[in-house]
Amino acid sequence: MTEVLHYIWLGILAVFNGYPLFTLGGIAIPAAPIMVCGGLLTGIAVGATPGLAGPMAMAIALPILISVFGFTPDALLPVFGFLIGIMKGATVGGAVPAILFNMPGTPDSVMTTLDGHPMAKAGQPRRALRIAQLSSVTGDTFSDLVLFVCAPFLAVAVEAYLDLPEKTALLILSISFIAAVMGNSRGKGLLAVALGLATAFVGTGQALTPRLTFGNNDLSSGFSLVSVILGVLIIGEILIGIEGLWQASRLGKKKEDAPHDPAQDDLQPGDIGRIAPYVARSAFIGTIIGALPGIGSTLAATLGYSLGARRHFKRGKPGDTPFGEGAPEGIAATEAANSAVSGANLIPVLSLGIPGNAAAVFLILAADSIGGFNPGPQVFHFTSPQVNPELVTAFGIFTLMSIGNILNWTFGGRFMRAMGVLARIPGPILLPMVLLVTLTAIYVQQTSFFALWVTMGFGVLGYVFRRSNIPVLPFVIAFILARPLEQNAREAFSATGGDPWFLFHSATSIALILAAIASVIFLGRKQAES
Amino acid sequence: MKKFLKPLTLAAALLSLSFAANAESWTPPGPIKMMIGFSAGGGADTQARLIAQAIENKYGWKILPEQITGNGGLNLAKQLKSEPADGTAIGMVVSETLTYSALSANQPGLTTENFTPLASTVAFQTGLVAMKGGAFDSWDKITAAAKAGTPIRFGVATDRWADVTYLLGKENGIDFNIVQVKGGAGVMNGLRGGDLDIGWVGGAQSKPVQQGEMVNVASAVSHRLADSPDAPLITDLGSKYTLNGYFMFIAPKGLDPDARKALGDAIAEVLNDPSTQAHALVVKNFGGPAVLTGTALNDTLTNLMSDSQNLLAAASAN
Repeated sequence: MTEVLHYIWLGILAVFNGYPLFTLGGIAIPAAPIMVCGGLLTGIAVGATPGLAGPMAMAIALPILISVFGFTPDALLPVFGFLIGIMKGATVGGAVPAILFNMPGTPDSVMTTLDGHPMAKAGQPRRALRIAQLSSVTGDTFSDLVLFVCAPFLAVAVEAYLDLPEKTALLILSISFIAAVMGNSRGKGLLAVALGLATAFVGTGQALTPRLTFGNNDLSSGFSLVSVILGVLIIGEILIGIEGLWQASRLGKKKEDAPHDPAQDDLQPGDIGRIAPYVARSAFIGTIIGALPGIGSTLAATLGYSLGARRHFKRGKPGDTPFGEGAPEGIAATEAANSAVSGANLIPVLSLGIPGNAAAVFLILAADSIGGFNPGPQVFHFTSPQVNPELVTAFGIFTLMSIGNILNWTFGGRFMRAMGVLARIPGPILLPMVLLVTLTAIYVQQTSFFALWVTMGFGVLGYVFRRSNIPVLPFVIAFILARPLEQNAREAFSATGGDPWFLFHSATSIALILAAIASVIFLGRKQAES
Repeated sequence: MKKFLKPLTLAAALLSLSFAANAESWTPPGPIKMMIGFSAGGGADTQARLIAQAIENKYGWKILPEQITGNGGLNLAKQLKSEPADGTAIGMVVSETLTYSALSANQPGLTTENFTPLASTVAFQTGLVAMKGGAFDSWDKITAAAKAGTPIRFGVATDRWADVTYLLGKENGIDFNIVQVKGGAGVMNGLRGGDLDIGWVGGAQSKPVQQGEMVNVASAVSHRLADSPDAPLITDLGSKYTLNGYFMFIAPKGLDPDARKALGDAIAEVLNDPSTQAHALVVKNFGGPAVLTGTALNDTLTNLMSDSQNLLAAASAN
């Protein structure tokens, strides 16, 4: 136990004594907490801008951060700080345009418009924003606490009970699960996963001659993680956005300007007591959904809202505003659920190295680019007296998340209310800027024109995926997991003395494989639900 | 544009050549591209970047580090070969890349004689490592367990390590389950997590050994390990081969001897200077600097090359 406390303390120290940003009156000001703060403000602004989303800002910020802080392990915490700040800020900020203008800033806040906007229209925008902020931050904090407690135990349990074949089976299960639950068709999910795996197999492997490169030297170390992820996730999204703008201009359709009621208003007495049970329930739902990789915050928001609506219908007093007409409980149920996903999503990332959503993908990308921290069960080796630097980084990340929550509680709300104006930046200005910055970012990191072509190529692939309703995240996650999967499978194969049936020797691995098959058969979401 | 640039670069090259008549005064004709064949953030990468930084500080040469990883350093070698041999492109690899790996991948164009070796930085301190107090923390325990029929998982990081392991097992009548993982860090993670029983680590085991977490069961190089002077050499345990090797800087073939000397001396200078961070790092993590330049380096590489040829012949004959 003292070992754990010791590591927690080292993690806190690493944040506050780490990389100094500048010195003020002889005192070094640590970079990491400042970066969380900067990231949080950026995230709130980004979330409040329709058309931008947290992952996009993370993608743009990452190369800039790396060029500022360098490739040394010292850079890990400041860079993670900024990214975590964006992640947390964007969840809160997404509610702003949803409430004020009936435009969801992020896909998760679609349900927020249902009650938030009517409340704002009724002359209470400030009250709606306060409720959104309180519920969102509560959900997020709860889910972070679950992460802090669960991730180390899960990692230790995996190391203690799972041998190489079982770890391979677990990776197969997570990839199948993601294929099944993301998007609206299992077939398309499996297709995305298969393409992701195939892409990752180019140029990698153990042989000294690179495979599947068709003699192309540029491919000999494979497609780079940055090019693939930014291409599919960001460029693809931009192409879709540009197409949408083009369609809109062709049809001559203009977005109507929502009226803004400047009436002063604030939390009403009794609001907190009224929303508390909804927040608690939704935070719980969001955390459970977040801990399963790949399901995402949109389902959490939908589930939180509909369960909240049912409870409200049953127990509501006469005279309460019903759901859908500006009920504070409605905003609370949605925001708490979608925010609770973000912390819990890091449970599989930190303890198993399996990312569940786009934000987690970018955290893994950051770790991979900087080096010195490889998310996975080996992070949680409580070695003593030798200090395990990865574990210190993990506790540093927890500290950063706590700082983010404290900032979100205190001044996040005020900043959030000032961000309403961002919703008015027009797409024709925003999208080309994001495109330019993304391509520059890639060139800065890779210094090769080939990397730009690869990125554009994957951008077109991302566009085709979106147009054909194929989910893009399973592709990216499979691309990331392909290497650990192959590595684990190879290790398991040779560790068992070259046994081709290594997956079927222990009850655990058979159970995991059966679960993988079952997930594809039973978990596919029906078309209607999407 | 190209027509115009070509004579210009030629003129610049000629000009720099005439300046380079005196080795003392050789300066790179432009920024030096430093290719690093190891993944970002690891010990080898940090070592290369700190050396680059120290040379920049000391000589004022501009160095641009760049990661070119994959295929055991052969990707880097291939790319470095096409760079100009004027001192503006250098690469950091392990000696194994240009000897065993190039031979094994059947890439005769990537062996030592196709490059200009500049300087070695540190020597491998490879040991056969196991968790202390575990079932395999001495060679006697390992052989006894193997005789009793216990399968033994042996972690290796390269094909060469795997070949040496296989032949060592053969000499002792043991059929190891040889598991190839990612680098020495991968071997140590495997040992800690119980996925591996024993494995080779090329120097990073020093700290856990000093702190009593792991033990060096044997030394895989031709001298005893500083941390474990009592551990036998693997050549005493029946192996005909060692895992000697170096981290080293190379340049394309045909580099001007003055440039070679200037670059080699610069690397030696900053590594042997106790005030640099590079020196501190290699003392802490790699058993101290082991800088060879010029003919001493050539001779060492010739020996490593013939060792690799013998090892490959023996491994494929078995």
